[in-house]
Amino acid sequence: MSNEIFSVLGLFDSAQRMTDAIPLVRQKVAGRLEAYTPYPVHGIEKLLVQRKSPVAGMTFIMGLIGAISGVVFEMWANGVDYPLVTMGKPYLSWEAFVPIMFEVAVLFACFTAGLGMLLLLNRLPFFRHPMLHARSMPLITRDRFALAVEADGRPLDVAAVSDALRAAGAESIEIVENLAAPGLLSPRFLFTALLAIGLACMVSGYITYWGIKLFPKSIPVVHMLDQPKLDPQRESAFFKDGFGMRMPVAGTISRGHLPYTVKDEIAAEVLSNPLPRTPEVLKNGRQDYMTYCSVCHGILGDGKASLTAAYGAKPSSYHTQTMRDLPDGRIFHVITSGKSTMPSYAAELLEGERWGTVHYVRALQRAYDAKDEDIPEESSR
Amino acid sequence: MSSDTIPLAGEMMPEILGRPSIINGPVSAGSLDDQVLAQVERGPSALWYVALAISSIIMIVGVALIGYTIAEGIGVWGNNIPVAWGFDIINFVFWIGIGHAGTLISAILLLFRARWRNAISRFAEAMTIFAVICALIFPLIHVGRPWLGFWLTPYPNQRGIWPNFRSPLIWDVFAVSTYFSVSLLFWYLGLVPDLASLRDRAVGRFRKFVYSILCFGWRGSSVHWQHFDKAYTILAGLATGLVLSVHSVVSFDFAVSLVPGWHMTIFPPYFVVGAIFAGFAMVVLVLALVRRTMRLENLITIYHMDVMNRVILTCSCLMGYAYLMEGFTAWYSMNEYIHHTFMQYIAGSYAWAGWTTITCNILIPQLLWIRKFRRSYPAMIFVALAVTAGMWLERFVIIVSSLHQDFLVTSWHFYKPTIVDLGILCGTFGLFFTMVLLFARVLPVIATTEMKMVLPGAQPHHLGGSDEQ
Repeated sequence: MSNEIFSVLGLFDSAQRMTDAIPLVRQKVAGRLEAYTPYPVHGIEKLLVQRKSPVAGMTFIMGLIGAISGVVFEMWANGVDYPLVTMGKPYLSWEAFVPIMFEVAVLFACFTAGLGMLLLLNRLPFFRHPMLHARSMPLITRDRFALAVEADGRPLDVAAVSDALRAAGAESIEIVENLAAPGLLSPRFLFTALLAIGLACMVSGYITYWGIKLFPKSIPVVHMLDQPKLDPQRESAFFKDGFGMRMPVAGTISRGHLPYTVKDEIAAEVLSNPLPRTPEVLKNGRQDYMTYCSVCHGILGDGKASLTAAYGAKPSSYHTQTMRDLPDGRIFHVITSGKSTMPSYAAELLEGERWGTVHYVRALQRAYDAKDEDIPEESSR
Repeated sequence: MSSDTIPLAGEMMPEILGRPSIINGPVSAGSLDDQVLAQVERGPSALWYVALAISSIIMIVGVALIGYTIAEGIGVWGNNIPVAWGFDIINFVFWIGIGHAGTLISAILLLFRARWRNAISRFAEAMTIFAVICALIFPLIHVGRPWLGFWLTPYPNQRGIWPNFRSPLIWDVFAVSTYFSVSLLFWYLGLVPDLASLRDRAVGRFRKFVYSILCFGWRGSSVHWQHFDKAYTILAGLATGLVLSVHSVVSFDFAVSLVPGWHMTIFPPYFVVGAIFAGFAMVVLVLALVRRTMRLENLITIYHMDVMNRVILTCSCLMGYAYLMEGFTAWYSMNEYIHHTFMQYIAGSYAWAGWTTITCNILIPQLLWIRKFRRSYPAMIFVALAVTAGMWLERFVIIVSSLHQDFLVTSWHFYKPTIVDLGILCGTFGLFFTMVLLFARVLPVIATTEMKMVLPGAQPHHLGGSDEQ
């Protein structure tokens, strides 16, 4: 069984002779004319009546799409989705988006021109074209110019075409048949190869994914966790005592504080509250009382609070006569130095804040033990 | 006229009057293939193995030191506040600059129809790609945790944040990655017809298969060529804009900041010219070696070297203007900080670097005014080496000299690179030359298809071609 004839080639030894031959051949034979050349011969497309390349238009449109999508994405990301103030400019200040807009436009345009030309317009890669196993192909990619008369649906009159080409100056003639692609370039093999590459990518992807998931902190990917520094509350072999944290130098006092020298509650009785009873002082005292005292002593100072059960201690209510009679100084001393299970609050509250808390405790006692005459005239009406 | 024997143009009149010949001796399309493509088919020479051994050992040292940097952190470098940008950014700007000559030759000169570019475009484009690979290493390792480098790209993430698109550093990511991928595409498209030639010359089954795949089954039909030619010209136009934008964006990294000595409007053109300057020096250097060792003197003629040396001379003069402008800005602005920084360039701790830069970039290239030096091997290699060193030092001056004395006098700091810095710099040279050597063995170093186009008699007369060389 003879194969179908794809085309008849005439080989010429210069671009000049081939282009001269085109009108001569076209006069004599039907069929599609195509030229195969080692390099682009300028102007030949006019002689062969081929359509103009649409590459320029494609590139322009894709470049425009690139520019628009680039700038719109930038504005959406930095102006809408995650608004970011940079140098006090408005969110949608477009000037700073121009460089990336330009780069994206060039990227889109270049890949359209390059890959669009190769893959879409030229329909490559294509390994089954009959020309690829023509005997003349090595000559064409070297220095010969082939004019081909290709079958366009109808069978070619091989003898007539050969004569026409020879008459037009072809140095040799080749008849190209439709043949199956050679083994390694068969679609089946290429498909298998692509599948294998895809599979290899998937396997290595999974290995990487699980590797990162199971060993997230392998060296060197430790995310700066391993640092030669001292952490608070940690041991250190550097210091003789083995502690990472250092004590301040003996006798150090913090700025604005004087040491509290009163020995016991009795001695503290003589202290008097230096703060005036203003709404401001009471407000701050209430804030501190609520933060530090109320968890044990209760919001009302009655010793009923959330922590008493857990703590095991039973703070006495403020609303006994003994407590009401205590001088301010003794309350201040207990807050400062602690009493039985109650710890010192000197570290949490400054001296003035402690006196403010004393005022608030006094206000609580007074409110709990309110008399009829405490009610103002206007509101009793 | 037969395409096998071509008379030399210029036989009729003195060489200096005619259009200069871009080939030496008889060259035809067939002999071109036999000369250039056969290089790929032959086994490499002993000299090549020696060169590869040296460059790959240097590269391996560089790779090991990069590994050490990643394991230990960038504390092993000399960078410290206020000189937070040291060798990493110097090398990045240097290598990106080297790449620009390739795109200039392949794209801008294509648009200007400079015929001499066809013989050197392939090599220059390959050098672009290798230089950009070397450059890309530095920002990546400079971030300290390179495995998180993908944070620079805008991708939807569970943190719900996006990169700051108003930052020149993000512009850089886009510019350099676009530049790399477009250069690669441009280079590869040019290779496709040459790979088809290699496929058709191949003897072994395996070789033929590999080249068949690589050339996508290219068959040289006129429809294909028409699309190809158009696309190639468009790509050249786009790459021209791209190459100018890339180094401008690199200069924005500096110019958009407020550091005295960086915050200047002259930076983008100044950087672009400097990039082309350094790149051409590297092309001259490599081609001077390649043309001898690969016996390509008839295709890459002394005229080519002459023209490239003229480009170097032009760039050198433009650089001189830029340096003078820096001084002028410092003086005319009456800004004491810019003035101080400028004085640091010429009279400070790094004045030696400043003066070496001026000597290497401005004074030494002036030799090229003399035709004899433009055509002399020792002279052009000397100038090219001087320019390469000078342009590296220029980036050193711009970065280190400007940073080491900042606004706060207490933090002034004398920058000294460590052995790791130097090793990584050498390592990228090793990487660059390893890739150049491998490229010279496995792919055609001259774009044979493009060369065939400019051989005499390549285009038919009545379609606008000319018989003149």
